[in-house]
Amino acid sequence: MQQKFTDVLTAGLWKRIPPFRLVLGLCPSLAVTMSAENGLGMGLATAFVVTLSNGAISSLRNVIPAKVRIASYIVVIATLVSIVEILMKAFFFPLSEQLGIYIPLIVVNCIVLGRAEAFASKNPPFISMVDGFSVGVGYAISLTLIGSLREIFGAGTWFGHLVFGEAFEPMSFLVSAPGAFMTIGTLLALQNLFSRWRGEKFIQG
Amino acid sequence: MSEIIRMVVVLSVIAGFSAAALTTANIQLGPRVDAQIDLYVRGPALERLFHKPAKDVLGNKVVIDVDGVGIPVFYTLQDKVVSTLAIEAIGKGGFGGDLKLMVGIDLIKERQTGIEVVSHSETPGLGARIVEIAFRRQWQGLPIDTPVALTADGGAIDAISGASTTSRAAVNGTNSALDFVRERKAEILKLIAER
Repeated sequence: MQQKFTDVLTAGLWKRIPPFRLVLGLCPSLAVTMSAENGLGMGLATAFVVTLSNGAISSLRNVIPAKVRIASYIVVIATLVSIVEILMKAFFFPLSEQLGIYIPLIVVNCIVLGRAEAFASKNPPFISMVDGFSVGVGYAISLTLIGSLREIFGAGTWFGHLVFGEAFEPMSFLVSAPGAFMTIGTLLALQNLFSRWRGEKFIQG
Repeated sequence: MSEIIRMVVVLSVIAGFSAAALTTANIQLGPRVDAQIDLYVRGPALERLFHKPAKDVLGNKVVIDVDGVGIPVFYTLQDKVVSTLAIEAIGKGGFGGDLKLMVGIDLIKERQTGIEVVSHSETPGLGARIVEIAFRRQWQGLPIDTPVALTADGGAIDAISGASTTSRAAVNGTNSALDFVRERKAEILKLIAER
């Protein structure tokens, strides 16, 4: 039990880290990571949703009939996302304006549905919440990393603070859409190279 | 058969719980969300209209109910007399949808103090130039008892070149705010006095 708990808790940070290992949730990773702050905000919102949705779905796993499970999951996830949206509007209004449409779109983020289907529907509530937390935190870390790289090299700032000084000429294409593909592609390649060098088995899922 | 009933019941119960949770969240946090929208969306426009920090003005708000729609009205006091009103108006018929405007009215001098754009979705470079002060400056000092109109319609407002639709929407919005004040001035002042 103890062993399983630590395994699940750390899996999201490397073995199953989205979007690099668990190649899910790429749409928000590409779209909102213009800056480190946006990435962190989106990541935390997703982490909150995936933790609670895993908990809720896992507690209901013996009640929900298999034929309507996807519909039930979506209802639960949509409720949580709407609550997150209201919370963000009430407490972090500027951030919610910047993330805009991507907050409601967490509903169809494959990570949330993926963890519900692959983990929460087969495991007890507590360990499912641990899994959701771990994957969510991994996602938040990845998004912050992508956002930081794009912001530092694309705008010369990090969390809004100047990094290189006034003389630095930022590669502003990194902040636009093509830069997102470049950054994520490069990070994916580095991650694969590193795993191969360590001789790890490729587990994507 | 019983399986179908079970599916329906389970889904309905889940949906019911979700609806209850959402309603609770909305009722609990609704006022806070409104305050945040006031601060971040209407705040900047009010600051420019009243020349005061938004925090000083945001509390001075009354909502007038017109046909089931609440119209927010902000005001400032001078020697305990209401001096300026800012009325939120919808400029119908913009190129990319309705404009949301804030119309400033000086009740003592009976003049308009200007309009501010709260939100719009006009074409960048054309209709979006409505936010530039060069166009909106034309409202400052206009009387409040005559409707405004574009020069093309025999009025005093020069339209933004290439964006007469947007300009006309701004004019419409202003006129609806002027009508609103003319018809409901007593009601507004009564509501403010009761606070």
